[in-house]
Amino acid sequence: MSDFLINWIANAPVTAVPYALAALGLIVSERSGVLNLTAEGLMLVGALAGAGTSLTLGGHPVVALVVAMVSAGVVSLLFAGMVVVLRVNQVIAGLAVVFFCQGLTGLIGTLANWQNKQITGLPSLVLWPFSEIPMIGRLFFMQDPIVYLTILIFFTVNFVLFRTMIGLRIRAVGENPAAADAAGISVALHRILAIVSGSCLIGLAGGYISVVSVKLWVTGMTGGRGWIAVALVVFARWAPWPALWGALLFGCIEAVIPRIAAAGIRVPQYLMLMTPYLATIAVMVWVGAKQRAGGAEPGALGQPHVREERR
Amino acid sequence: MSTPTARRFGRITLDMRQNLASWKQAAFLGGSLAIGLAISVAILAIAGIPPLQLASELAGVLNADSLRNTLVQAAPLILVGLGASIAFRIGFWNLGLEGQMIFGGIFAAAVSIHQIGPPSTRLIFMGLAAAVGGMFWVLVVAFLKIRFRVNEIIATLLLNYVAQYFLFHLLYGVWQDAQTAFPQSSQFRPFERLTDIGLGVNSGLIIAVVGVLVAGWFVHLSRAGFYMRFISANPAMAKVVGVPIQATTILVVAASGACAGLAGFVNVASQESRLTQSFADGYVFSGVLIAFLSRNDPIVVAVVGFLIAVLFITGQTLQVFYQIPFTMVQIIEAIIVIAVASSEFLIRHRIHWIR
Repeated sequence: MSDFLINWIANAPVTAVPYALAALGLIVSERSGVLNLTAEGLMLVGALAGAGTSLTLGGHPVVALVVAMVSAGVVSLLFAGMVVVLRVNQVIAGLAVVFFCQGLTGLIGTLANWQNKQITGLPSLVLWPFSEIPMIGRLFFMQDPIVYLTILIFFTVNFVLFRTMIGLRIRAVGENPAAADAAGISVALHRILAIVSGSCLIGLAGGYISVVSVKLWVTGMTGGRGWIAVALVVFARWAPWPALWGALLFGCIEAVIPRIAAAGIRVPQYLMLMTPYLATIAVMVWVGAKQRAGGAEPGALGQPHVREERR
Repeated sequence: MSTPTARRFGRITLDMRQNLASWKQAAFLGGSLAIGLAISVAILAIAGIPPLQLASELAGVLNADSLRNTLVQAAPLILVGLGASIAFRIGFWNLGLEGQMIFGGIFAAAVSIHQIGPPSTRLIFMGLAAAVGGMFWVLVVAFLKIRFRVNEIIATLLLNYVAQYFLFHLLYGVWQDAQTAFPQSSQFRPFERLTDIGLGVNSGLIIAVVGVLVAGWFVHLSRAGFYMRFISANPAMAKVVGVPIQATTILVVAASGACAGLAGFVNVASQESRLTQSFADGYVFSGVLIAFLSRNDPIVVAVVGFLIAVLFITGQTLQVFYQIPFTMVQIIEAIIVIAVASSEFLIRHRIHWIR
């Protein structure tokens, strides 16, 4: 039993990292007032770019992850151009980008023949001598480097968003773009910056799935994790640390699924696979039942800023 | 109305248009569609289909023989488009059309498998069950939205995955075809299929056409349609004057789910005559696209739905003969939405270049 528990909890960070990074990326861009539904698509872009790079170069997982970040950032320029420059409805634009990315990654993955090819992953970082501590060593000191990097990224993003001038400007643009504009802050520039930098994190989340965690590319392999990340952002009230705890919760849920079957417990597998989605809906109901909706939402979330329309 | 103020970006200025002649709007729309299609043709060319070959394939789709397939394909697409457009009219983002289609298909198949009702009315029972199935799957979300303010975009999308896994659960379990041992249900009996009714027109299309007419009456002429316009134009005012917002929302959302459920029924009963793993694949975004291009007007949905059916059949042809994955259809759909949505910028703004 304790083996089962340790095995499960030790794998939770690996399944939690994509949720955590994607939710953090969404928080950065939504703090600037852009309702961002693109995570599912950009994670696929990151996953395909990472897998493709790794297969082409024959390894180099770090390079693959960097390429994953950059490609998601580049694709997000399409979304940024639509919602910031052309002021397209942010729901329509987000959905269009997701379905565009789903289609494009499926096409490229098949035509380039990257499907189901083994990828060299990232070895775990064994932090000796801490790794020798019973139980705790396996849980905290034998994870892959990206798990530790994720915590570092959370500290950095939290610092930038809440302790620096650029973070203040991004939040101001999201809270009240007209006032920020009047104060001489470029709404368009800060929103594009927030979208692209957030999307790099989402791309890293996708790249992590294909290069580090699953070590394969399969069409549509993110399987709705991007949508779960969108729900996590609402759950976390647009704050980084609660998003990390939420991600860990979902990491635990996802990590337990394959282990229940491996432990020999007979449950219908397809019903088990529903649990992350049902858990997400349950969390959303819980947030709604607490009757605090709207409190922490960025003031201008979902509204394009049109200076010419002010009255 | 304030006077529009001009803004300068270096040598470009931008100001708001008050209104634009409709022929100019049509020109911008057509221009953006042309650009979107040109990009799609370019992507296809990169993927290995030269434009000339594409043109001949497209011409092949429109000949009499393939026209029948196109019309069969158009029926579920039109129904899904109707489901999307009536929900979008009141700002309910029903993105669970695939899940509702799957439940429509499951309910219809359940009627067939358990042989509910006499053979003569079996098809009608299946259709009704499918509508109920789709309704059931979307009303869960409507309840969560009204009671707990759960965001329906995420909830409906997530329930697509749940429905997909439930379908797998059935097809790899109790409903697996004993004869073929494939993960699909056993074939419907002949009287449980939607067949041709002459001139190569499938009876599924009749359901779609009736759906278009009923939906057209519903949104343009009925009392509920008037309430819908009121709610989307000004919810606060609608509440003050006593429009039954909640009842209208539930009615509209249920109708939307019923359309998607019927689409699932039409799809399984007219094409494969059995439940397959992927019969609802690619319909969510098709529904969104059809609703978006038709500006949520049920009558226009019929036309756009037919055009998307041409795209689907072409995509299937390219898949069979050129090994281009079917996701190509999704790419083209997304490009069209991006192009058309972007063109609205030009309809609403005027750009001047200063020399």
